Amino acid sequence: MKPISQSTFLLEIGDLYLFSLRFFKEVFKPRYEFAELIKQCFYIGYKTVPLVAITGFIMGLVITIQSHPSMEAFGAESWLPSVVSVSLVREIVPVITALICAGKIGSSIGAEIGSMSVSEQINAMEVSGANPFKYLVVTRVIASMLMVPLLVVISDTIGLYGAFLGVNMKQVISFHLFTNQVFLKLTFQDIIPSIIKSFFFGFAIGIIGCFKGYNTKNGTRGVGSTANSAVVASIFAVFVIDLMAAQIADILHLN
Amino acid sequence: MSNETNIATDVIQVSHLKVSFLDNHVLKDFTIQLKQGENLIILGASGSGKSVLIKCIIGLMVADSGSIKVFGDEVTELTPEELNKMRAKVGFLFQSNALYDSMTIRENLRFPLIRHWVKNVRETAEELVMEALTNVGLEDTADKFPSELSGGMQKRIALARTLILKPQVILYDEPTAGLDPITGKEICQLMLELQKKYHTSSIIITHDLNCVKIMASRIVMLIDGICYATGTFEELKQLKDKRVTDFFD
Ligand SMILES: Nc1ncnc2c1ncn2[C@@H]1O[C@H](COP(=O)(O)OP(=O)(O)O)[C@@H](O)[C@H]1O
Ligand SMILES: [Mg+2]
Repeated sequence: MKPISQSTFLLEIGDLYLFSLRFFKEVFKPRYEFAELIKQCFYIGYKTVPLVAITGFIMGLVITIQSHPSMEAFGAESWLPSVVSVSLVREIVPVITALICAGKIGSSIGAEIGSMSVSEQINAMEVSGANPFKYLVVTRVIASMLMVPLLVVISDTIGLYGAFLGVNMKQVISFHLFTNQVFLKLTFQDIIPSIIKSFFFGFAIGIIGCFKGYNTKNGTRGVGSTANSAVVASIFAVFVIDLMAAQIADILHLN
Repeated sequence: MSNETNIATDVIQVSHLKVSFLDNHVLKDFTIQLKQGENLIILGASGSGKSVLIKCIIGLMVADSGSIKVFGDEVTELTPEELNKMRAKVGFLFQSNALYDSMTIRENLRFPLIRHWVKNVRETAEELVMEALTNVGLEDTADKFPSELSGGMQKRIALARTLILKPQVILYDEPTAGLDPITGKEICQLMLELQKKYHTSSIIITHDLNCVKIMASRIVMLIDGICYATGTFEELKQLKDKRVTDFFD
């Protein structure tokens, strides 16, 4: 075992960069694998819905319950829906959803492609006249780019419903009044950047999972460490992208 | 120069092939020819570079130097389209079978069909799949997944997938490794049967002496990265060289 040094880390970043470049080169070349794309959207998107729905709901509920006392102390209880919804939609839901996707999608892509790589299935695709990069990588990265934002929107909606229930635990407020108060503060200037951000989250999760899977070594033992490092790296990437998104939003005065 | 006729019947020509990974010099100066209709066995210790050799032939790996000609064309000079055309004519049986475990057997067999043959494939695919399955005696497994089959059955399916495009040449990477002797023998019989049926030439990597006896037209010993000795089973067995006879005990 080599110790992980700075140089291997930088080398890997370089390889990941080249891998991403290859993705952009191959994504527009014909022989589009639509059937596989649909299948991946199903696996990546549909199968993750319950998980992000429940966490979105819990986040909405918990943030509201916990913000209630301090808002009450300032006598700003009526501001609770708008304050909570903005922080949910702008930051909490996209990041939590992306982290869940990093765990679920990142590890499953990494392990699947990793085991295909060590059992020579990728080589077999190549001799069967397919382009394994298009068939495996391009479809999964696109599916994850499309599905993560969608999951964020679903989670946003359910999170706001959780917030509505949270508000109702301490005071009585109609759903109509709640939504009015929410959209008093929550605008497209909050929603659109958060969707764009999730698009990049999806790209990072997909490309890192595929990259780690494609470069799996050491047989079946390597598949475990691939799944592991795919999750760690994509969680890290989510935070880096989040930081960059906050900076860019700041520069563009989207706050 | 001398033997023009010889060149015409050589399906695969590997000359002076060199492959190394860092300072691990796997193939040093390796030269072989595969003639039309021949079953060439490659014998060599584990890690001697047998798999590397056939991966270079099919273009999955690139050699450091030397030349590989398949049907007279230099493999490294083919365009991607030409390479695909070549691969449709050269079947490859992977040591690990490499069946796609997320697909059913039918989808596994359709995969090369759909990608290599653009024309009319939708109408004929099902027929070809069933023919391939009948060839290996597993007609009733079409809707199963690879993980539901035994090792021997998986090998048969892998063989069916290799043969589905009716290749002229087949490269076998240890077709009987990891199977019990009886199943191994069955696989060998099947290979021979299908070879007679479709008139293929093949390169077979194996340690299985039974298989060597059944299949070999000619044997090549890959030792120290070169073609150390070549001949028929009987010829090699009579050599006095210990490094050669070690394989036949
Ligand atoms: N992709 C690779 N990277 C580095 N070394 C490799 C690679 N593929 C094979 N080797 C090395 O080449 C040698 C021959 O491997 P291989 O052809 O698989 O042996 P075998 O004759 O058992 O099939 C081994 O020492 C192996 O470690
Ligand atoms: Mg091998």
